[in-house]
Amino acid sequence: MATITRPETEDVELLRRPNIPSADVRLPAVKDYEQVDDEITATLHPTGQWFIGLGVAIAFLIVGALAWTYQIYSGLGVAGYNPPVMWGVYIVTFVFWVGIGHAGTLISAILYLFRAGFRTTIYRCAEAMTVFAIMTAGLFPILHLGRPWKFFWLIPYPNWRYIWPQMKSPLIWDVFAILTYLTISATFLYIGLVPDFAILRDREKNPIRKRIFAQLALGWRNTDREWRHFVRAYLFLAAFSTPLVLSVHSVVSFDFAMSDVPGWHTTVFPPYFVAGAIYSGIGMVLTIIIPLRKWFNLKHYVTINDLDAAAKLALFTSLIVGVSYANEWFVAWYSGSPAEKQFFANRLWGQWWWASSLLYTCNICLPLSLFSQWCRRNTTWLFILSIFINIGMWFERFVIVVPSLSHEFEPWQWAGYRPTWVDYAILCGSFGWFSMWFLLFIKQFPVIALTEIKEIVKPRLKFSHPRGIDTTAHPLPFMPDTPGEFD
Amino acid sequence: MRGVIGVFRELDTTCDAIAVLKKKKLGEFTVYSPTPRHEIEHAIDKGPSAVRMFTLIGGLAGVTFGYWIAIWISDYWPIVVGGKAIASWIPYTVFGFEVMILIGGLATVAGLFATARFPRITHTVGYDSRFSYGDYGVWIEPAPDKMQEAEQLLRDAGATEVRVER
Repeated sequence: MATITRPETEDVELLRRPNIPSADVRLPAVKDYEQVDDEITATLHPTGQWFIGLGVAIAFLIVGALAWTYQIYSGLGVAGYNPPVMWGVYIVTFVFWVGIGHAGTLISAILYLFRAGFRTTIYRCAEAMTVFAIMTAGLFPILHLGRPWKFFWLIPYPNWRYIWPQMKSPLIWDVFAILTYLTISATFLYIGLVPDFAILRDREKNPIRKRIFAQLALGWRNTDREWRHFVRAYLFLAAFSTPLVLSVHSVVSFDFAMSDVPGWHTTVFPPYFVAGAIYSGIGMVLTIIIPLRKWFNLKHYVTINDLDAAAKLALFTSLIVGVSYANEWFVAWYSGSPAEKQFFANRLWGQWWWASSLLYTCNICLPLSLFSQWCRRNTTWLFILSIFINIGMWFERFVIVVPSLSHEFEPWQWAGYRPTWVDYAILCGSFGWFSMWFLLFIKQFPVIALTEIKEIVKPRLKFSHPRGIDTTAHPLPFMPDTPGEFD
Repeated sequence: MRGVIGVFRELDTTCDAIAVLKKKKLGEFTVYSPTPRHEIEHAIDKGPSAVRMFTLIGGLAGVTFGYWIAIWISDYWPIVVGGKAIASWIPYTVFGFEVMILIGGLATVAGLFATARFPRITHTVGYDSRFSYGDYGVWIEPAPDKMQEAEQLLRDAGATEVRVER
């Protein structure tokens, strides 16, 4: 909520200096509330390219679904599992999608609490991405089950079998963490959408769509009572989501760290996984938002300053991930454990050298370019880099999962791993599943939050109030907390 | 329910109308705005939202249930390992925490519905689709003999349109 605050100092000119780029939320090309509604709701009409994109996504999904059907018929052996490597592409992709889901809540909740202005224009996309990424991630543990139709046995409920889950197992912790994250992320997305649904309800001409939006808006009327409680509830949801972001990927990391496998049994895993998740999520946000702002002609909403700030976040998290890699190597050396040392040697210079090289190049070397402002503000480079980040982060999880299982303590436990066409097909299917939901979302609902954008647009004023107004509509001698709000 | 709705184009005139309405005490009023504004919230000055109590109670209920379900399951179906507790509170903190977030978050939404009085089946009188677009509205329910005074007050404050609705 935009507000007016008293300055700490009397040096007005100093305060007026734009605080760019990270906190700059000025949208100089957006003049009033009506323009926001008109331009953003204009993106909701499906186009030919959109239908083509949706068709491609569904085609990928069908490929994945057919492969899964074949796997159910033939058994998990068709997925390239050979003892001792019994976790492969499915678990790698599960961790990858959970990671992608982290940036949404980071941007929508954590940056909301920190009042980071640049989140406003990109958070709706990131939130939707989170929900669909978690929906995708949730499929993989089910895909990995021998009898996937029994997945609900993981949930503790009174049953005729009189058996309950093992509550000390990290895999059961995962079930709770992922379900909680999906529920809270979806709730957060929906509650934030309610005022926007009301706008769509009031603007929509098609009677069927209007009726659907009216149902989704739950009778929202923009009253002072609704806003007062909405803002507070949204804040609390953000406050709840913040530790959730940190906990979910920590719990995912426990799947590995709680075991006694070389390369997995390390205390650095929770922060390492959380930083990596945020990093990969920011990468995916950039992959999505850069073409979207171009196709939807929304460059004056998602400004270069916003991308610049997101790129800084990507750089920061890439440095944390880099330090985590260094920490792994150091601990392997410092532990004095021959198994750990051999395992890391095998990962770096042995059979998995190519995967390690790829991930270090994508996750450590290339992001260093973001120290340059030119790179941060060049959308072409940012887009290319974001693709490399996505690839690098998938391979990071590959390097965590597969080399450890293929090089445990004893030589008889050393093996190779080669994914089959079923793995590749289901991996493609997961991208199809995610893209299908996202494409459906962007043409039915606003990809930029209408209400929150209005909060950073200068409100219409009858009289001249260069520094805002007080509660009785008199000019204030204070400065707005949103830079440029009353310029 | 009979009242007067005033449509305002500007934020400052809306705040002005609220200040005068509060001073004159003509009756209960509702303000419509396309986006939340502190200026309006301060002008109305309704105090803190009660949503926080729902959040607190939901969170406490969630953390209690999370620990309880894990401990109960361990006792009901014990997996006995020599030298280890059957119910161990440290790993069960994961359940306590996750269920706290889950129930606390859902209770917050329930609190929002209860305190903000929605979902609503129908729109009440006074609402205009312009209030979600760019205009502000002030709806007042004065006593029948004060109706004209309320209309005049809204016009004087700068309303571009004033009408009586029931």
